[in-house]
Amino acid sequence: MVKTLYRPRIILLAIMFVLLVTFPWMYKWPIFSHFLIEFRTFQATRFAIWLIILMGLNLLTGYSGQISLGHAALVAIGAYVAAILMKEYNTPVFAAVLVAGLVTGAIGFLIGIPALRLSGPYLAIATLALIIVLPQILKHPFMVDNFHTGGVNGILLPTPHVPSSLKNNLTDDQWLYYTCMIPAIIMTTMAWSLTRSRIGRAFISLRDSEIGAQQMGINVSLYKMTAFGVCSLFAGVGGALYIYTQPYLGPSTFDILLSLTLLVMIVLGGLASIVGTICAAIIMTMRIDITNWIAAIIPAGDKLGIEQSRGALFGLLLILSIIFTPRGVAGNFEKMREANIARRRSRQERQGREKEGEPVQD
Amino acid sequence: MQQFIQQFATGLSTGSLYAILALSLVLIYRSTSIVNFAQGEMAMFTTFLAWSVLNGHAGPYWFWVAFFATLVMAMIFGALVELIALRPVESGPVLNPIIVTLGLFTLVNSLALRIWQGEPKAFPSPAIFDGAPLKIGTAVISRPNVGVFCMALLIMGLIYVFFNRTKVGLAMRATAQNRVASQLVGIRVGRMLALGWALSAMVGAVAGMLLAPTLFLSPGMMQGVLLFAFAAAVLGGLESPVGAIVGGLTVGVVQNMAGTYIGSNIDITVAFLLIIVVLLVRPHGLFGRRVMQRV
Repeated sequence: MVKTLYRPRIILLAIMFVLLVTFPWMYKWPIFSHFLIEFRTFQATRFAIWLIILMGLNLLTGYSGQISLGHAALVAIGAYVAAILMKEYNTPVFAAVLVAGLVTGAIGFLIGIPALRLSGPYLAIATLALIIVLPQILKHPFMVDNFHTGGVNGILLPTPHVPSSLKNNLTDDQWLYYTCMIPAIIMTTMAWSLTRSRIGRAFISLRDSEIGAQQMGINVSLYKMTAFGVCSLFAGVGGALYIYTQPYLGPSTFDILLSLTLLVMIVLGGLASIVGTICAAIIMTMRIDITNWIAAIIPAGDKLGIEQSRGALFGLLLILSIIFTPRGVAGNFEKMREANIARRRSRQERQGREKEGEPVQD
Repeated sequence: MQQFIQQFATGLSTGSLYAILALSLVLIYRSTSIVNFAQGEMAMFTTFLAWSVLNGHAGPYWFWVAFFATLVMAMIFGALVELIALRPVESGPVLNPIIVTLGLFTLVNSLALRIWQGEPKAFPSPAIFDGAPLKIGTAVISRPNVGVFCMALLIMGLIYVFFNRTKVGLAMRATAQNRVASQLVGIRVGRMLALGWALSAMVGAVAGMLLAPTLFLSPGMMQGVLLFAFAAAVLGGLESPVGAIVGGLTVGVVQNMAGTYIGSNIDITVAFLLIIVVLLVRPHGLFGRRVMQRV
């Protein structure tokens, strides 16, 4: 039984792994070159970064049920830590990313303390406050003098290049792809095993009933703070990678709009689901392409002025997809799987009854 | 001292702008328990409708024709939004209505930009607000700001009376608290939700028309105000109209004072820090009540 369940999954994972490893070369392959362009490698790099960032938010909001509208602020903190380390102290990129993740995680853990007393819309506004005030703090002379945040001008990093030892094998774009995709795979695996561990189950029980969780002996305060900490760790790593691939960082690089978009994306992909987060990252990366494709297939779009109202189309698509897939893309997979299991079970039951010689009704 | 009083007065008039939009947020939260991110954009859209009615017509009574026509249009608009966009997601996961309001935000904003273009337009303020600035002691306040302040108080009073003294208001409060139980005692839950959206769109329209003379009418005019209105509503406790006024004025005054005495590069930070501190002491805002939970 266990074997039949697991084998297809392992094959699927292996195929995915091979695809991810070879992706930056695919645009050169004979058939793939028809629909893949080199730009997609850059997009895939973005996908990896969004995956890490969205995974953090989904761990917090999807699994532990704590709504956060300030995720972009944590991404920004991670980006600033990494940028300052790389620029002022010449830290190598992997060390900078790691330190940025840990520092942001620690900050997030502390942000968890005021969040302990708040819930629902009150928590939402309190977290939204983070991203509202962050630009002012980054621009403040104290931060500029002591932490080299660069004020209004922000920080300009050198364009990232592939290290000279790999220069003959990789282009810059391919190097960036692997720099981001490897952490993304590692952190997705981490998130996957976390949600299936004791901590993950504690998160879920927090979401479903805080008082219930408390009565089961779960340290609610500690786990809530842990949820914020883990969420911020992911945000920090994501922010650091983002700024490595896109070497300009200003006080409003990450804004309220991004914060809200991130929340929208995890709901579209599917809350409390790893597959859902992967879908969310794909939608996040391709959101402009998707809107353009749909704009192109709308009949008489030119007359309606689709060109000038992309935003309206995006909003409309968003509302429609929430109405028709209330549990996100992953919710559909879940539904299909349940239907599959139900069908298999009824078939088994029927076979069982036939064996026992009972009349089959359906 | 004179500067202090003047800054205080300026803070109050900024605060009353926040308060009046916060009132419409409180109204919708109280009747549907949804935090509506599209509130500011809906208010902006209905103000543009008023502008279209006014456009090309002069005369003292035309303002009021446009005003009341807009209130009716806003009610229909709000009810339609609830029926079309919100009704299908109400029974789903809790986050979904919020995501739908974010979608509405983009949709309405982009539509307004498409129809009326981006450049700011002048919007007349009602004739009764005209006149020389008001002097209270040494402080000077402009007439329109006094008007906004008085309107905010009036709306607060109306909302209070509506929720606490009328049967429909009671039914709406019941709907927000427990839908199934309300349905069981014979409340038309669907109608109450649509009415909640209609009324809050109406208050939003009033807010929009009062803010437009000061902020100038443009598709982006509400975005800055909305965040502070949210902060104000949360500070006062999302359930309480009195809280919205107190919250709005507090945020306005604190922001102004911090800007004057601590530094204009840190005013927003100080205002939000205060809100967080208040929330830590009172997690449901200044006037909000704690809801008991059962397992």
